[in-house]
Amino acid sequence: MTTVESYAKLAETAPRGLIGGAPAAQPEAEVDRKYSREPGFPVPILIAPAGLWLIVFLLLPLVSIFIFSFWKTTGHSMIPAFSLENYKAFFATEGFFDPKNTEFLTPSVFIRTLWTTFRFTAIVMVFCLILAYPMAYFLSMQVENFKWQLALFLLVMVPFWTSYLIRAVAWLPMLGRHGLINEFLLSFHLVSEPVSFFLYSEFSYIMALVQLYVVLAVGPIFFSLAKIDRTLLEAARDMGATPFQIFREIIAPLSLPGVAIGMIFVFVMVMGEFATAVVVYGGKTSTTGTVILNYYVIANYPFAAVNAIMLMLAMMIGVVVILRVVDIRKEL
Amino acid sequence: MAYDSPGNSRQGMWSRRTFMKSTAAGVAAGAFAGASLRVAEAADGLRSIGLGVSEINEIQGQATKDLGFTVAGQAMGYGEMFSKMLNQNDQYEIAEGYFNDMRVMEPAKVWQPIPIKKLKDWDKVTNLTKTGKLTPESNVGQGDAPYLFLWVDAEGNTVKGPSDHIIMAPGWHNADSMGYNPKATGRPIESWGELLNKEWDGKVALLNVPQIGVMDAALGVEALGLKKFGDKGNMTKPEIDFLVDYLIPLKKKGHFRAFWENFGQSVNLMVNGEVVLESMWSPAVAAIQAEGVPCDYAFPKEGMRGWHGGLAISAKVKGKQLDQAYEYINWWLAGWPAAFVARQGYYHSIPDNAKKYLEPAEWDYWYMGKPAAKDLSDPFGTVIIKKGAVRSGGSYWNRYSKINVWNSIMKENDYLVKRWTEFLTA
Repeated sequence: MTTVESYAKLAETAPRGLIGGAPAAQPEAEVDRKYSREPGFPVPILIAPAGLWLIVFLLLPLVSIFIFSFWKTTGHSMIPAFSLENYKAFFATEGFFDPKNTEFLTPSVFIRTLWTTFRFTAIVMVFCLILAYPMAYFLSMQVENFKWQLALFLLVMVPFWTSYLIRAVAWLPMLGRHGLINEFLLSFHLVSEPVSFFLYSEFSYIMALVQLYVVLAVGPIFFSLAKIDRTLLEAARDMGATPFQIFREIIAPLSLPGVAIGMIFVFVMVMGEFATAVVVYGGKTSTTGTVILNYYVIANYPFAAVNAIMLMLAMMIGVVVILRVVDIRKEL
Repeated sequence: MAYDSPGNSRQGMWSRRTFMKSTAAGVAAGAFAGASLRVAEAADGLRSIGLGVSEINEIQGQATKDLGFTVAGQAMGYGEMFSKMLNQNDQYEIAEGYFNDMRVMEPAKVWQPIPIKKLKDWDKVTNLTKTGKLTPESNVGQGDAPYLFLWVDAEGNTVKGPSDHIIMAPGWHNADSMGYNPKATGRPIESWGELLNKEWDGKVALLNVPQIGVMDAALGVEALGLKKFGDKGNMTKPEIDFLVDYLIPLKKKGHFRAFWENFGQSVNLMVNGEVVLESMWSPAVAAIQAEGVPCDYAFPKEGMRGWHGGLAISAKVKGKQLDQAYEYINWWLAGWPAAFVARQGYYHSIPDNAKKYLEPAEWDYWYMGKPAAKDLSDPFGTVIIKKGAVRSGGSYWNRYSKINVWNSIMKENDYLVKRWTEFLTA
């Protein structure tokens, strides 16, 4: 079976308009061909470097963070213990067990911070998708010449050539009270005094985050769109499908893995953010990243560890949810 | 590590004198025995860590030149410095630390006691760190005043001074308050209460270090007569609650334009016209004026918030390096670096030694609070003080007799950070 046929079959069997439609059933022969290997280096040797790296620099630190989260702080270091105090402090508000306290059902400040972090992340993801998808679509579908495609794609990447901090700081002269935008508005008498909310506001925070991370979404979406077999689209057109139908039935489902991967990138990056809030939001919010840093700085490592674990947990849940919506393994 | 023979260090009388007097038998032996003995010798030279206030290439470079062994300085961010000092005392010999971290550092025993007899100019060190009173009439100030932590016994346990050992040789220090744009405020700022004045809604910034930001706010609340704190450097939970509950509505209505975390940010906020008033470190004033924006440093009537740095020796240091560490500390006390940091507005614990290396006009401006007799430069040669300018708050002795509170780590630090997080998230 050729690729074209398998895709055609996929398009046929996929339930209409359902996100992440059922995958094409692949014949045994195809599977065998795909997964059979040339004799070469044995697999264990090939994965050893990466495996070792992950064990030493990812797994061990993660395990120790988990263990430290049960330890006790002495004010200047930590001592081994099995204490749930840190977790209690994370979840329970002061006076949580005191029904007379008016705030006894209010979520703790750390849960609220995690929620705020998540809320901003979700908003940023939406904007990233809205911006990245058309960009990627244009690059992959509208630009025919491969050279131009590559050139434009690199152009999209240009912001990534400078450091993260420069990209964030560059907003200041744009958005400030005496920034470019305000000067423009003032000189055309569109406003009588400088607009404050451009900078050190949710507006500037979200805009900067979107600008910083949108490229992470463009890449994967671009690649999954570029992979779509054009003959499929042609076939659909021949069958009389409208452009919207083609998009809904073919392009959208087939580009979903790219969307999912891009969204995972953005999600994980923004959840772990703490520096951008300082630069463009004037530190007027706390992210869980900030909390971890604040407790790290006062040498309360166990509590920093608890926050790190909660953040990781939230990220894992987020990634699982995204993967639930789009089954990447089946779609790719 | 590079080994420089002491013979190379004849640049100054001072270094030669130190060398001659030095009790560093190891140094002398190494010098005369030459390369053959070097292999057997213990580690040589010093690694020093601290903030950019004292870790400046020119300073450690000059020390290397004067002392004849390498002093490698590393400037770090505050949190990074704090963690490294606390957790990796085998990674440095000298900690250019701060007395407000002592509540953590002293019990952790990461630094070793320094016998005061090793410090040549110890008698000349002012009483600011020894008793808390720079002048007999001085106000000691609330919070973690250096004299409370300076004195230790031979094992490094805090004792009520004076004793034969100290934990950190006193060095550079300053008193912080607020910077403001006098053109925008239209009047001088003379009270911490102005930080919370609704006249400046949306045009105020605070320092986003919970331990310090909260003290500036407390100074403001106290100045407005809303509450009297027992000890602003060591607040109780109800006091922290009162303060944060007062600040949250202020933040919600947009009183604070931003919370800054580093020096550059505080400068930008004022230069870009985002704020007219903010808690500030004094070198920022010159940096802002250099951008053509008017800026004055307040000398609030309630007094300023003090902080004090110094030099400590890691508990791991011994032998030859220990002698070198004493030499480096003595070099600091002798005045050259004191003069260097004075040109950025920092004071030193032996003003007389700083005076030796300062021009009279510099001494008069920075320490005596007199009008500048001529244009004055920062340590790097940029003119930052115009002729005729006067330092706010007057002389060193006047400023330091009115310290309201010292930078501190409170006993309720965890709770403070928690409530501060709540304030920022609100």
